[in-house]
Amino acid sequence: MAAAAMSCAASLRLLPFKPNLFASSVQYPAKALILRPLKPSELPSFRRTIITFQKISTGNVRPPSASPPSSSEDFQPIEELPPELQEIVKLFQSVQEPRAKYRQLIFYGEHLKPLDPQFKTRENKVEGCVSQVWVRAFFDDQRNVVYEADSDSSITKGLAALLVQGLSGRPVPEILRVTPDFALLLGLQQSLSPSRNNGFLNMLKLMQKKALHLEVKGEEDSSSEESLESSFVPTPETNGGVSVVDKDTESKPSFVEDLGAEDSDGGSDVVALGSRGMRIREKLEKELNPVELEVEDVSYQHAGHAAVRGSAGDDGETHFNLRIVSDAFQGKSLVKRHRMIYDLLQEELKNGLHALSIVAKTPAEV
Amino acid sequence: MEGVAMKLPSFKSLAPNAISIGHRSFSRVRRSSSLSVYSAASSSATVATNSESVSLGHRVRKDFRILHQEVNGSKLVYLDSAATSQKPAVVLDALQNYYEFYNSNVHRGIHYLSAKATDEFELARKKVARFINASDSKEIVFTRNATEAINLVAYSWGLLNLKPGDEVILTVAEHHSCIVPWQLVSEKTGAVLKYVMLNEDEVPDIDKLREMISPKTKLVAVHHVSNVLASCLPIEEIVVCAHNVGAKVLVDACQSVPHMVVDVQKLNADFLVASSHKMCGPTGIGFLYGRSDLLQSMPPFLGGGDMISDVFLDHSTYAEPPSRFEAGTPAIGEAIALGAAIDYLSEIGMPKIHEYEVELGKYLYGKLSALPDVRIYGPRPSESVHRGALCSFNVEGLHPTDLATFLDQQHGVAIRSGHHCAQPLHRYLGVNASARASLYFYNTKEDVDSFVVALADTVSFFNSFK
Repeated sequence: MAAAAMSCAASLRLLPFKPNLFASSVQYPAKALILRPLKPSELPSFRRTIITFQKISTGNVRPPSASPPSSSEDFQPIEELPPELQEIVKLFQSVQEPRAKYRQLIFYGEHLKPLDPQFKTRENKVEGCVSQVWVRAFFDDQRNVVYEADSDSSITKGLAALLVQGLSGRPVPEILRVTPDFALLLGLQQSLSPSRNNGFLNMLKLMQKKALHLEVKGEEDSSSEESLESSFVPTPETNGGVSVVDKDTESKPSFVEDLGAEDSDGGSDVVALGSRGMRIREKLEKELNPVELEVEDVSYQHAGHAAVRGSAGDDGETHFNLRIVSDAFQGKSLVKRHRMIYDLLQEELKNGLHALSIVAKTPAEV
Repeated sequence: MEGVAMKLPSFKSLAPNAISIGHRSFSRVRRSSSLSVYSAASSSATVATNSESVSLGHRVRKDFRILHQEVNGSKLVYLDSAATSQKPAVVLDALQNYYEFYNSNVHRGIHYLSAKATDEFELARKKVARFINASDSKEIVFTRNATEAINLVAYSWGLLNLKPGDEVILTVAEHHSCIVPWQLVSEKTGAVLKYVMLNEDEVPDIDKLREMISPKTKLVAVHHVSNVLASCLPIEEIVVCAHNVGAKVLVDACQSVPHMVVDVQKLNADFLVASSHKMCGPTGIGFLYGRSDLLQSMPPFLGGGDMISDVFLDHSTYAEPPSRFEAGTPAIGEAIALGAAIDYLSEIGMPKIHEYEVELGKYLYGKLSALPDVRIYGPRPSESVHRGALCSFNVEGLHPTDLATFLDQQHGVAIRSGHHCAQPLHRYLGVNASARASLYFYNTKEDVDSFVVALADTVSFFNSFK
């Protein structure tokens, strides 16, 4: 029975939201529960039912206590949230004054553990934020999801911190169950409409998507560890055994490997530069005699868009961050300094260098 | 700076509550000698009955119902007109009127309603033509918006005329709508895009532009007024240089047509585009101005009804411009409402609107730049440099999103934060995003004051965390 069931297509079951459902049917390692990776658009709509594809296998899956989705209330009750998140919601509810709420939010953000720059990748970036937000997820040794996040905007950083603090260290199903309704309870007037610009909703979605991916990868790993060997990349958080790394970061060929994370001793820049990056360095060093020079290849942040694909010719070296401290900028306005640099790098700009983000100072200004 | 006092033409409806501020400032204006600009106005200001001279902004506010509301517990202060403008009641009435009394498809029907709709639609076209001083209404093609108009030129004129190695000159400050279509078309044709960078005054470098123009140049596509820098380009000069080498010029006039007199004869541009929704008209309609001979030479853009002459199974013949470029049922009501917006603006008078905005824009710039740690992009205003009435800016150490969010939620002030559809420009300036406050003739000095107070409060709030 089991074998036949396993080989046939997944069955679709509509499962009402009940806290004990997952508790009973998920045992780790959860061979019984396979979740197909959902694209963001397919993530469950935030109502009270979740659609899951369940492979019926040897595991003892108790039929769900099927009570009809009744409920008069429209929002997810606070008790269903992870405990930390409940605390956070209660804290915000106790703070009435809007300004104080913002202060609290920003306070959270300030105490967020900083995110290592090597994780500020395209796959970790939250779509639809006018500010930049990155979220990273990995398993701890109990297969709870650990999150790290960062943002260049204080408010978004605060929201990210809320989510990190509220969801980190929790198991995947609990995280997936969270709906953005709780944001209303915070009283921060964060709109919940799933529009492109809704950073908060998209942050939560990304965090849930990453949790799901970790779960799926975990399943694949435990059932086929050999095939994982080839794509195994040693990163700080893996420890032998079942390594569930956010696989996407290593799959882009045009990435410049950031080797700097492990040996960050001294030196103004530790990124391995490709040929263009080296040429840029040489040119700037020769012409500007800088006191400080940092050339950082950030092409990976733009690896997706059409203008970059196939046009650069130089292994996708298209976008750079430059930090130059030089006397040559003395007495020159910001725009003039930028112009100097653009003029020096004319050849590169003509041949596939796409954009430069420049910090240009004189030694006195540093 | 004293309140801005405008001379009143015979403007019939003056609601009493619109005059409250103007009353006081008028007497001050009389005695003050510093407002030389307005001394002429004030001396002849005893125009109508009991008219105290009120600022244009105060005068027209009653026409814009949307401005009289509270958001998040504060009075709405709308400073995002560069993104879209608000519409006066007459424009809304025109749209409603169309649907209520004579909605009918245009150009095809024989019956009374259809004839009336067609008349009004074509009248709107004439109004647009007159507004920009086109020589013939046939030179006005209605499109969905300015973006579509630029795409029309790119796909119709561009695909036909651009050959490998031909050059298209843009500036680094262009709106995405005047960059992406050219990227798409140059990929297809092998043409090359060249960009003019900014000079020390943070405006596109016209000297460099002149140098760039060569016999290889086929098109120069530039903005008239920049939606980020607020700078104004010398279009007439650019057109002369371009025409000298046989290149055409397309002017993106989205931020100029709503705010000042734009005369396509004087500019002598080949193409000019603008959007209705930025000039008190509804969304969903915009236009392309193209010189007759140019439009004549261009193949169709979209295919369908109305743009054809005869249709057979294996081929079709096409209509004359502008119909050739207007496939399918147009946004009839919207075009008519745009006509009403043009009437409304013309009755106030574009020179007046421009004059008011120059003053108010200067006031905004002055107050904003007086705040510490504020960096405004674009040129400094001066006697020779007139900025548009908008300021894109950043506050040191404060993300524009935080700023805009707080301004909205704590003060009801609506500004924009982001890249304003000008990512290359922001990259050039070395920032990810900026905040932007933009004015229109229905804003007042008090709006600017509220904004500045709110901004100072916002900055001090976020600074308290440092």
